Amino acid sequence: MKGFTTRFAWSRDLYLLGLLTPAVAAVTLILSVPIVWLVRISLYPQNLPYGLSGWSAAHYIKALTDSLYFGSLARTTLYSVIVTVGTAIVSFPLGYAAARGRLRRWKMFFIVLPLALSLVVNIFGWIMILGQNGLLNSVLMGVHLLDQPKQFLFGVGTVLLVLGHTYVPFQILSIMSVVTQIDPMLEEASASLRGNRWTTFRRVIIPLARPGIAAGSTIVFILTVSSFIIPELIGGASVQMYAVLVFQQMMTVLNWPFGAALSLILLAVALGFARLFQAAARANEELNSAVAK
Amino acid sequence: MPWQSSKLALLAWALFQVIAYFVLALPSLVIIGASFDSSSVFSFPPHGLTLAWYARALATPAFTASFVLSVELATLATALSLLLGTPAAYALQRYRLPGLQVVQTLLLSPIVIPAIVLGIGLLMFCNLVGLGQGLAGLLLGHFVITLPYVIRTLISSFSLFDVVLEEAAQSLRATRFVVWFRVIIPSIVPGLLSAGIFAFVTSFGNVALSIFLVSSDAATLPVQMFLSVEHSSDPTLAAVASVVIFITGAVVLTVDRLAGLQRLV
Repeated sequence: MKGFTTRFAWSRDLYLLGLLTPAVAAVTLILSVPIVWLVRISLYPQNLPYGLSGWSAAHYIKALTDSLYFGSLARTTLYSVIVTVGTAIVSFPLGYAAARGRLRRWKMFFIVLPLALSLVVNIFGWIMILGQNGLLNSVLMGVHLLDQPKQFLFGVGTVLLVLGHTYVPFQILSIMSVVTQIDPMLEEASASLRGNRWTTFRRVIIPLARPGIAAGSTIVFILTVSSFIIPELIGGASVQMYAVLVFQQMMTVLNWPFGAALSLILLAVALGFARLFQAAARANEELNSAVAK
Repeated sequence: MPWQSSKLALLAWALFQVIAYFVLALPSLVIIGASFDSSSVFSFPPHGLTLAWYARALATPAFTASFVLSVELATLATALSLLLGTPAAYALQRYRLPGLQVVQTLLLSPIVIPAIVLGIGLLMFCNLVGLGQGLAGLLLGHFVITLPYVIRTLISSFSLFDVVLEEAAQSLRATRFVVWFRVIIPSIVPGLLSAGIFAFVTSFGNVALSIFLVSSDAATLPVQMFLSVEHSSDPTLAAVASVVIFITGAVVLTVDRLAGLQRLV
């Protein structure tokens, strides 16, 4: 009998290995080899895409001391925090209502469609709304609030607005999925203990929904801090977000070692903040269980 | 609280939601509106109806060729993701072993790696091994970014599918191969379809990764649109974008019919 179970376990382990190996091997190779190679390239002293040899940390030192790059990193981080917090605030009531209220199916359609849609389509739509001959100018001039067309594009505010608009569905969906799991009985219990709506919201719903807010915020932060298509097309030369500088180094300046160093700094910031959001969600879970005890 | 049951507050709340969903859809609505408008510069209110921009889009080789490339790429990436992702999702859902959590984190990690970093890394890598820019690099990149969606959707499909059916088949001496093709796969067809369709649109719409990996003579449709937006604001582009909106909208509705959109989350 013992022999049978061992053989069974063996065959199960082999089966499991067969199921997982192709995906794990492919993802490990496709993610790790390019990133390791990127690390190596960032440590070449040259400023060219070819003839690379030797070792140097000069690109990292330049990235972290030159005010153009360091300033852009600080600003980009600040913008990303603004977009993350802003989308979380707007999404909370929307996600809550989509989870609990009526018309759920239609709401889901309108939340998922912009997510599934190509980023470029969304940007193109905003250019048609905000451009010199755009919808907003036509409407404002039509009601005589403006005498001549105003340029709404190419400013930081507009870039943040479009970033927020593009990534807000991730927050709504994430909040919606945790609210769906909150038992409505808990809210009724709070109400029956004479908690008013505000107390129930603050003491029951927000703490239980925090993992969803953290998950949504992680994704929105990472997407915003690394965005370059939106700042490039909506912001133009006036908004130098960090990933735009990375893109320029790689594709126009062709300083691959420096671009590689910048992109790895960006990766570190993105993953560092992702950790932070997860830690915030977990710290709260511990607090909750401590209170429950 | 004074606002607790006030009609005004309820009205304001309903209005907020209507405006929010309207703003979410606004860019798409404006594009569709402009694509049918006969005026060649964007203007509001519209002048008249025409299909001329669609005809011109169809007659522009840059758009049709890049559309074909995007469809090919998305099909290949989806097939690869389903082929490798389905067994992995099955193993992750059915077995509770130490280490599987790490595997799951690894397979979902492309979601948290910025596309620009992955794109640059793959570009450097393809240069290193002599693949150059083109379909091979694009396919590798699109495979890893679509895989997390496939795995997430299928884990939820497998959790709804009763393991007893597999055990029954096994007790009747069906081999694992037979169990897969006669029991498991037929039972998760809706999950496979919605995972596949969502992987397809994710790949089809991607620009942040593709822009590093396309060769200079053959762009994917979103990259072609990115290049066109930079240089002109022709209503032909609105027609192309509208086609993308119609296709994506049809796809999202199909997923909703098949399995329900909440399964994607």
